[in-house]
Amino acid sequence: MSAPTLSPVSAGVGHRARSSRIARAVVYTVLVIAVLITLLPFVWMLLGSFKDQGEILRDPRGWLPQNPTLDNYARWFTDLNIGHFFLNSVVVAIFTVLGNIIFCSMVGYALAKMNFTGKKTLLALVLVTLMVPHVVTFVPLFVLVSNLGMSNSYYALILPFLTAPIGVFLMRQFIGEIPDSLIEAARIDGASEARIFLRIILPLLGPPLATLGILTFLSSWNNFLWPLVAAQTEDRYTLPVALALYSQGENATDYGLLLAGSVLVIAPIVLFFIFLQRFFLQSVASVGIK
Amino acid sequence: MYRRKLAVTAALVTTTALLLTGCGRSDGPATGDAAAGPKAGDGKASGTVVMWAQGASGEALPELVKGFEKENPDVKVQVTGIPWSSAHQKYQSAIAAGTVPDVAQMGTTYMADFADAFENPAEDIKTDGIFEAARNAAVVGGRAAGVPWYVDTRVIFYRTDLAAQAGITQAPKTWADFTALARAYQEQAGAEWGVRLPTGGTDSFQAFLPFAWSSGAELMNKDQTEWTLDTPEMVSALTEYQKVFTDKVANPNASTEAGAAESNFVSGNTPMLIGPPQEIGLLNKAGGEGFDAKYAVARIPEVKSSTSFAGGSSVVVFKKAKNPEAARLLVKWLTEKSTQTEFYKLTGNLPAVEDAWNDASLTADTKLSVFRDQLGDAKSPPTNTAWVQVSAGADTVFERVVKGAMTPAEAAKELQSQAAGIGIGK
Repeated sequence: MSAPTLSPVSAGVGHRARSSRIARAVVYTVLVIAVLITLLPFVWMLLGSFKDQGEILRDPRGWLPQNPTLDNYARWFTDLNIGHFFLNSVVVAIFTVLGNIIFCSMVGYALAKMNFTGKKTLLALVLVTLMVPHVVTFVPLFVLVSNLGMSNSYYALILPFLTAPIGVFLMRQFIGEIPDSLIEAARIDGASEARIFLRIILPLLGPPLATLGILTFLSSWNNFLWPLVAAQTEDRYTLPVALALYSQGENATDYGLLLAGSVLVIAPIVLFFIFLQRFFLQSVASVGIK
Repeated sequence: MYRRKLAVTAALVTTTALLLTGCGRSDGPATGDAAAGPKAGDGKASGTVVMWAQGASGEALPELVKGFEKENPDVKVQVTGIPWSSAHQKYQSAIAAGTVPDVAQMGTTYMADFADAFENPAEDIKTDGIFEAARNAAVVGGRAAGVPWYVDTRVIFYRTDLAAQAGITQAPKTWADFTALARAYQEQAGAEWGVRLPTGGTDSFQAFLPFAWSSGAELMNKDQTEWTLDTPEMVSALTEYQKVFTDKVANPNASTEAGAAESNFVSGNTPMLIGPPQEIGLLNKAGGEGFDAKYAVARIPEVKSSTSFAGGSSVVVFKKAKNPEAARLLVKWLTEKSTQTEFYKLTGNLPAVEDAWNDASLTADTKLSVFRDQLGDAKSPPTNTAWVQVSAGADTVFERVVKGAMTPAEAAKELQSQAAGIGIGK
């Protein structure tokens, strides 16, 4: 036997290295498959948006467009004036996100760090509203909004969503982790409550605020039923409502138009996420550490 | 400290106030009165009339109503399109909050739910020229709550080229013809399945109704006070229907994904289906140029009769309309013969007014003449608030029949007991 033999130690290391390489290969394969499965519907949507209605009906499972066309996009941008609905969606989303960032953190701060009578009741109230299903409050909320004379205004689309109980709860939990000594030190130095909140607390809330911002943006951007019911004229419709209005008929759906519209609705979200990804991951990581 | 307390109290009071106002119920729609409707007016209406309409109708209306605005220069029509998928919720919320438009398009299955909010149609709107099935679909609790606007019915679509290949040149008339053609497609024209029929899922029982009605079954008794789903006729219809699946002529697990029906029809995999008028447009698009000549339509196969399903929409005027005079005038105009023809040209929606079918644009189309013929014998589901619930429950039972998990007799019994448990609503 002249073949070189490995010492027990190096054999162990080699074995470990090999098995960790195999493990990594397995993990990567699984991840790549998972990513592909997640991406496939989006790829189909994107490719489908370049097909005409006939091709989609003739071969619903096909991938590559046989006669690629931009007609679906052209219809959205010319006849259907998607820019207007896009603007509505953006205005509503921006104000809703700003409102949530400001008000949820304020209420969260009060609930976490201030002492006042009724604090527990107020917190319980927040938690209760978190548990009431949306469908239960939907019609009463609309009656309330229209009795206030606000239906068919941007107010109707924005005001009911300016704070969300889940956001208040999220903020309260994060702010609760901030040491009281920071606030006490500021108080001793004579800082007012507003100054403590703005200068001490808010700067520490970057990651949770980014999370709240993203979650709020997503729910506002995708919100369908409320804008449909609250808006009384088409010029107040948001993107998802316009998408449903123009692509779905009584007994027939215009799939090409629907897919092109979906691409246009989703694209800003993807860009937004890429832009805020760093904050988002950071905040998810810090949630994990907690 | 005091200031903080004050702020907290203020916040609590505001929250409570908001919650309480949200819970309150302002005066809801008044209950229906059976008095005769008001007059559509002498054409002197003015101001803005607001109309809500779904889908293609909503898209075509702004163009259509230009004619109305020309005839009535003092009236401006403001149209808001509503997506079909959530129209029910939109109307429900608007009625609850009193933010209704003046005029709206109502699908037949919505009529019963919201009829209390609609005024009787104007007296001088003539409805005797409207298909009977459509007229009945607008009657709720014995009173007309709207005026039929367009109609919709289901017929057989079948490939004539493949039928000729299988040696059949006649349109199927009876149930025997229908199943024979389906078998011939399979045996002599290379089709995998002879016919595509509803197998289950939302509204599948409703899609089966033409077969039940044609076998002589009725959903309710004459007075519309009781469900009659467990009858020998219903059992017989379910038995024949189930047989198509157990004989492997129709696929009990047919895909219901988007485009499945059209792609299978065009490829010849399943060259026969039951469809609404909109199917013509879809098949022509899927089949491409020249495909229109490769298929035809025929009436629902006859057992005791050839009775199909009548759907469509009515136009209604709300009791809380802000401009009722103009609203009535608009409804009257929408149901005039010339408007109906124009509306068909814009949307492909079939006129509810029979006379409008005599226009060259409709008579020229041989497929449409079958729809017209079928509309002469079509029924609509009961206009009570329980129907939607009964129909949803029936979908599950129906699916079990198709899949062979339940005998037709058991199914009829189950349908009846479910429906009896739900009642007839109002």
